[in-house]
Amino acid sequence: MTEGLPRQMLRRQWRGVELRLLAAALLLAITTVTGISLFVDRLERALVLEASAFLAADRRLEGREAPPAAWEADAQAQGLATARTLSFSSMAFSDLEALLVSVQAVSPTYPLRGILKTAKDPYAPGTPETQTPAPGTVWVEPRVLLTLGLELGATLDLGAASFRIDRVLTATPDQGGAFLLAPRVLMALEDVPATQVVRPGARVSHALLLAGPEPALERFREALPEDLEARFDFEDVRSGNRSLGRALERAERFLRLGGLMAVILACLAVGLAATRFAHQQADTVAVLKTLGSPSGRIRRLYLGQLFQLAGLVTLVALALAYAVQAGLFQLLSAYVPVTLPPPGWAPLVLGAGTGWVCLLAFALPPILRLEAVSPVRVLRRDLAGLGPQGPVLRFAGVGTLLALLFWYAGSFELAGWVLLGLGGTGTLFAVLALALLRSGRVLGMQAGKAWRLGLAALSRRQGASVVQMLVFGAALMLLLTLTALRGSLLDSWRAQLPEGSPNYFVLNLDSADRTAFSDALEDLAVAPQPAFPMTRGRITAVNGNALDPRAGRAAARLTEERNLSWSGALPEGNEVVAGRWWDETAPAPGLSLEADFAESVGLALGDELVLEVGDQRFEVPLVALRRVAWDSLRPNFFIVLSPGLLAERDATYLTSFFLDAAQASRLPELLRAFPSVSIIAIDGLLNQLQQIIARVSLAVEVVLVLVLLAGALVLLASIQSSMDERLAEYGLLRALGGTRRRLLGALTIEFATLGVFAGLLAALGASVIIWALETQLFGLPQQSHGALWLWGPALGLATILSLGLGATRKVVQVAPLRVLREHGA
Amino acid sequence: MEEDLPIILSAKGLGKRLSLGDNTLTILSGIDLEIKAGESLALVGASGSGKTTLLGLLAGLDTPSEGEVTFEGQPFSGESEDTRARRRAESIAFVFQNFQLLGALTALENVMIPLELAGRGDAKGLAQSYLERVGLADRAGHTPRQLSGGEQQRVALARAFAAQPRLLFADEPTGNLDQATGRRIADLLFTLNAEAGTTLVLVTHDLGLAARCDRALTLEGGRLRVTEADAS
Ligand SMILES: Nc1ncnc2c1ncn2[C@@H]1O[C@H](COP(=O)(O)OP(=O)(O)OP(=O)(O)O)[C@@H](O)[C@H]1O
Ligand SMILES: [Mg+2]
Repeated sequence: MTEGLPRQMLRRQWRGVELRLLAAALLLAITTVTGISLFVDRLERALVLEASAFLAADRRLEGREAPPAAWEADAQAQGLATARTLSFSSMAFSDLEALLVSVQAVSPTYPLRGILKTAKDPYAPGTPETQTPAPGTVWVEPRVLLTLGLELGATLDLGAASFRIDRVLTATPDQGGAFLLAPRVLMALEDVPATQVVRPGARVSHALLLAGPEPALERFREALPEDLEARFDFEDVRSGNRSLGRALERAERFLRLGGLMAVILACLAVGLAATRFAHQQADTVAVLKTLGSPSGRIRRLYLGQLFQLAGLVTLVALALAYAVQAGLFQLLSAYVPVTLPPPGWAPLVLGAGTGWVCLLAFALPPILRLEAVSPVRVLRRDLAGLGPQGPVLRFAGVGTLLALLFWYAGSFELAGWVLLGLGGTGTLFAVLALALLRSGRVLGMQAGKAWRLGLAALSRRQGASVVQMLVFGAALMLLLTLTALRGSLLDSWRAQLPEGSPNYFVLNLDSADRTAFSDALEDLAVAPQPAFPMTRGRITAVNGNALDPRAGRAAARLTEERNLSWSGALPEGNEVVAGRWWDETAPAPGLSLEADFAESVGLALGDELVLEVGDQRFEVPLVALRRVAWDSLRPNFFIVLSPGLLAERDATYLTSFFLDAAQASRLPELLRAFPSVSIIAIDGLLNQLQQIIARVSLAVEVVLVLVLLAGALVLLASIQSSMDERLAEYGLLRALGGTRRRLLGALTIEFATLGVFAGLLAALGASVIIWALETQLFGLPQQSHGALWLWGPALGLATILSLGLGATRKVVQVAPLRVLREHGA
Repeated sequence: MEEDLPIILSAKGLGKRLSLGDNTLTILSGIDLEIKAGESLALVGASGSGKTTLLGLLAGLDTPSEGEVTFEGQPFSGESEDTRARRRAESIAFVFQNFQLLGALTALENVMIPLELAGRGDAKGLAQSYLERVGLADRAGHTPRQLSGGEQQRVALARAFAAQPRLLFADEPTGNLDQATGRRIADLLFTLNAEAGTTLVLVTHDLGLAARCDRALTLEGGRLRVTEADAS
């Protein structure tokens, strides 16, 4: 056959529905996958970039001593940007007053990620700042000015040096971990020696900040000495901030899950369309073989057609995906202040690759079966359809789906659960769909004419109807699953940070001042939160062995002086994971540790610890390990004691409250009334967290829309598959005198029933999958999703009815004669 | 005179059985026949007597359960499907009751297929001239859907003869057409056949049509009745 024939046939067959369907499915597959990948890729980069801002860097090397200068030189040689910071607490003095502040001295390149914001007035919103404080000047948080009664330009003394207050510091990127400390003062690193505050043995924290390409960061990390861990923390975005790390992880999982659903839908559509195309071509192949075409030529003819089409579609799809993605980000740009990195090439390759893998695994098998069609088919049509599915080809689809599943899910666990959900519900669906169809038919017998016609149409194409219900149901199920999961994931996250979460922390509240402070808050119409006694103490011995802080990192961590608290009841947001909490009413002496902390320092239940608080020493057993919800912005303690071991007067109190922005101007009142109390605003941190949540949910919504689109197109493809048959049937019915109204009514009933049935199946499947994912994978508390049973059928009805009627409208519009002529036997 | 002509197609002990579950259904058995080059043979018989099945076996579209078919002196029925296909492309053509044109191609392209399969040089010009001979030159660019049944069958005739086959199989070529059209198609078939000197195997229940062939064979319950040699 000349090489022109594939193109000729392609051009002509393009007029037929089958090839258009195949092309549309493939276009959809590649566009969706590429679009989602491009989008996810860009969004992920933006999220990581933003998260890096929390560290003010991509990586952060932090320790009690300064990281060696050689390391910094090393990093710079690797092409990394570096900055240094030194943090410590110190008293700051105005002429009249003193205040404990948290000082951060930074090198001029700070911050490497994120932005500093400053203002010229304590109440003004901040504007981005490109510099760091000049030598001899400091930038301070508004509270420093308010508490000390200072103005910009005034002098602030730190240790032995004096500084001019140059700016009001409104936001620093790396404030995440510091929210329990005193207000911040930013100064130049080179000014530190002049203050004489930092002496050997002082509690300071040095950090070397690093930013640059991932491979260079990895190389730098590998070049660091083995015993690094003993002296330094090497933090990345995830370890740097627990709650953010978790949010990012969830977002990534979610976006990947969305991508995965789109891939499955796309493969479904491609397989569906290709199988239909192959069946349609069996007659052609039989004729070609009769005319003397060997099977090799048949294969080349169809592969030629398939690949020409796929090549063309790929190009169009990539362009389309790029445009879609660009459009999406245009829309988003208002909400995403972070400058978005341009999309990379990898998603294009991944999208096209996935599309072709999908094509080869799902379109190729039915097409390859064509070459086995026997020429006898020209004599007896019932004979010799498509050749048998070879075992290799049969598993190609399944194998590819598994591979794609794993690739997109990124974990066997996630892939496994999704697979289990799909496989199990798929089988169940087929059985239930059949049962629903049967029941529909029985009902139809007793109903009106349009009903009988519509329901008869469903059961006449029983096989197709079951397949359609499966496909519609699956698409809907994925949609419901994603929507409900998105809801419960975000809800559970938001639930940890409800509206009105405390945005101010109160430190250093004297036990004597507690009632007066509560009263003052009440005057401001502010509800006080529970107050925790707090003091500082150290663990000095374990099971009778005195600890040496220089013995290693664990010992150093263990003996560090820490905040500790005591409480009769288990503090809110805490969960005992091992041992037993003491009896609230008659507590025996005991101590409880945060579980991860206990593990990292090698303590176990039953250990006898010696605790040193001020000049008191006492021995207590470790009786309970707690898990703490760090995501919540409540005061949390590594060490909690049973009540009665320390007296009230030994502690100051820690509490928190929520004050809305309108009332913030009344804070100075409170500060003047309680001069010894430190009040810390954590609005900045809250805002940053909430912005991330908002952006994550936006990303998820976009992915949902793309998946919805994929589902709708699969739906359309499968409705289109029945078009020839419908045209012939309805043409005949119209020729026999069926009114358009009645036929339209029958179509409506057919698709409405199909929609409701598919919706019921979807709700069932989604309930199972959601249960599995929520409880087994995401570790969320089980929630009820009763609304699924309403949304499933409603969405099924609306989508399938409108798409179905839209697609089949032609059936009742075209003149019956034409229908019979074109589509009759 | 015909005695001198070479035998183009012969069948020996040809049989076709189908196993349907436990039962075996014998469709054809003990078929012996010889067809000489250039002759025209009618296969007649009641519906279900096995005519189409026999045609399929003779043309190598299907394989026999027993016996063999020899085509142009070489074994045929035992060859692989691809070999049979190649030999069909070289020397065998078909006309079917239901036309069997490719809906995706125009009339002209349909006629071109066997020419291209046989590797003929000027496929397009040849196809065009054959369309002219069946009176459809002006419909060359139309697809089968746009043609009536009679026109479609004329395209099928053009396709069959354009490849200049040595053997032509026709299965009820007029079966789907009204009488007048059927007669015109039959006339065209016999005219073209006479011009080209093609060997013709014609399956039909139309005895009038059968009578226009050199001889006729009758199938009855899957067996050849009597050889009615040299029908007038
Ligand atoms: N694949 C098959 N499966 C079952 N029965 C078959 C098969 N092929 C042929 N038969 C049967 O074999 C018999 C012969 O069929 P065939 O089509 O050859 O008859 P025919 O003479 O061409 O009939 P007609 O004149 O109606 O075309 C019929 O009874 C038919 O039902
Ligand atoms: Mg027949």
